[in-house]
Amino acid sequence: MTRAAPAWRRAAVAPRVALALAWLAVPLVPLLLWAAADRWPFPAVLPTDWGLTGWRQAAGQGAGGALGRSVLLGLAVAALATPAGAMAGRALALHRVPARRLVEALLLAPVAVPPFAVVMGLTTLTLRAGVPGTVALVLVLSVSALPYTVFVMRSAYAGYDVGFEEEARTLGAGPRAVLLRVHLPLAAPALATAAFLAFLVGWSDYVVTLVVGGGQLVTLPMLVGALSSATGNDAVVAAVSLTAVVPPLLLLAATALLARRGAR
Amino acid sequence: MSTDLVLDGLVRRFGGAAVLDGVDLTVPAGGVVALLGPSGTGKSTVLRLVAGLDTPDAGRVRAGGRDLTGLAPERRGTALVGQRPRLFPHLSVLDNVAFPLAVAGRRRRAARAEAAGHLDLVGLADLAGRRPATLSGGQEQRVALARALAAAPAVLLLDEPFSALDPGVREGMHRLLADLRGAVSPTVLLVTHDRQEAAAVADTVAVLLDGRIAQAAPAGELHTRPASLAVSRFLGGVNEVPGAVERGAHVSALGRLALPCASPDGPGVLVVRQEAVALTGPADGDATGTVTRVTPRGARWRVEVTTPAGPLSAETGPGRTPAPGDAVGLVLPPDQRWVVPQATG
Repeated sequence: MTRAAPAWRRAAVAPRVALALAWLAVPLVPLLLWAAADRWPFPAVLPTDWGLTGWRQAAGQGAGGALGRSVLLGLAVAALATPAGAMAGRALALHRVPARRLVEALLLAPVAVPPFAVVMGLTTLTLRAGVPGTVALVLVLSVSALPYTVFVMRSAYAGYDVGFEEEARTLGAGPRAVLLRVHLPLAAPALATAAFLAFLVGWSDYVVTLVVGGGQLVTLPMLVGALSSATGNDAVVAAVSLTAVVPPLLLLAATALLARRGAR
Repeated sequence: MSTDLVLDGLVRRFGGAAVLDGVDLTVPAGGVVALLGPSGTGKSTVLRLVAGLDTPDAGRVRAGGRDLTGLAPERRGTALVGQRPRLFPHLSVLDNVAFPLAVAGRRRRAARAEAAGHLDLVGLADLAGRRPATLSGGQEQRVALARALAAAPAVLLLDEPFSALDPGVREGMHRLLADLRGAVSPTVLLVTHDRQEAAAVADTVAVLLDGRIAQAAPAGELHTRPASLAVSRFLGGVNEVPGAVERGAHVSALGRLALPCASPDGPGVLVVRQEAVALTGPADGDATGTVTRVTPRGARWRVEVTTPAGPLSAETGPGRTPAPGDAVGLVLPPDQRWVVPQATG
């Protein structure tokens, strides 16, 4: 009897995992099929000709360069929004902040306001101020990513014991050593999560890249948008879209691993 | 390595109220002083001021003739072990102990070798590779102690480090502290609310009452010769006989009781520890009365007796114990008699 229960539970786990995987995987199936299809006329259930034409066309359209630019954009946004969010989150969780409500509202505002409503005005502003489009793009996306990083880091610091840092100082560690040897290692899992979210903001953005970037910076979403607005490009679009799915999945796995190591 | 620690008129206010109101205290080099006081009297604040984690509103902290008052915590040489051990969870036990050596710029290999020595000092050499999360409470505190000693502090500050431990483990920690004194003789300022712990560990016990040091003396002296009624009461003394001192004797409703040492004439309260009071027949004794209540206190019994001077108590060992209603005599041994000023206000 005592052994039956776990066995029964283990048996029930498999279908649940299968359901969860299906939830994530089913939308990708047509994409996978299209990416490997040279010809897939309408009534056919499966592609009639298999091949890698889509991938060759994608490469020809500059998908490689777009991938690199997207990664760089995501990294730049994460590099700006993560430390800023960490500092704001720490201040909100651990220190007395004047006009706290107002500060919190301002930090969270970018989620509440639709980006296209703001970016039109911002474009003229950055153009007049002479700020290069790409710089303006990174700045605007970093502000959009702030609510996520602030939220993650504030929750993390709410459960953070400053006593560890005080302990380290009485043991002879200066502010720099405390930051590098105590503060950052303890905050690492939360920082990874915040950076991941900030990266996604830059990675998946379309509207801001289009308007503020002025079309100079062709990222993966821009490429997908341009390609899918024309007909007969399904295989290319599928190949580029798949390219866009892989890096976040890898990062998600890395973040989960880091969080698990931190929890150990 | 040991230096003395001198606190000079430390004042700390929180929101206008002075929690510490002029704390003066000296810990001699290599000595252990226990700071004893009720909870919420700012005992831990004293340690935070010494460690530099908080800033006094007035007063100075000196160690070995060096004024520490304005220095950053990491420049003071005052390692702190708190009630929670706060071992760094991302480091192994050995690297926790090596932490102060690593931040002092020691090479990793040398730091670990020296840390292993400190770990051996607290008897945990075989746990070096473990993660802190896998340790028991007592083991964690031992590692925290080893880590603090690895910092080679001029003064070791202990903030109720053993109060969360089981009684048996706590006694082991007291023995360890005594052993450590033999090995490295650090200067220690220990904060506790436990009278037994203070008496067991420290040379001198300082009682912190109402933001000031009410008395600092060896534990035995503190109990038999308290400086004030407040100290006597805080240390659990219950016998108080109001009266006056006249020519070397205390005069009260109990009559004239000779005093062992000279006290100035005038009103004064006679105090005798209940543990020192002996029971005898109703015909003998310095006071006679009726037993009103007998309460067990572990292996001992507290006997409360109504006398002409008010209620008095005696603690007796296991054996014959009187019952309520019995008429008994109380012996107040002359060398245990002590007079404190009447409470003011």
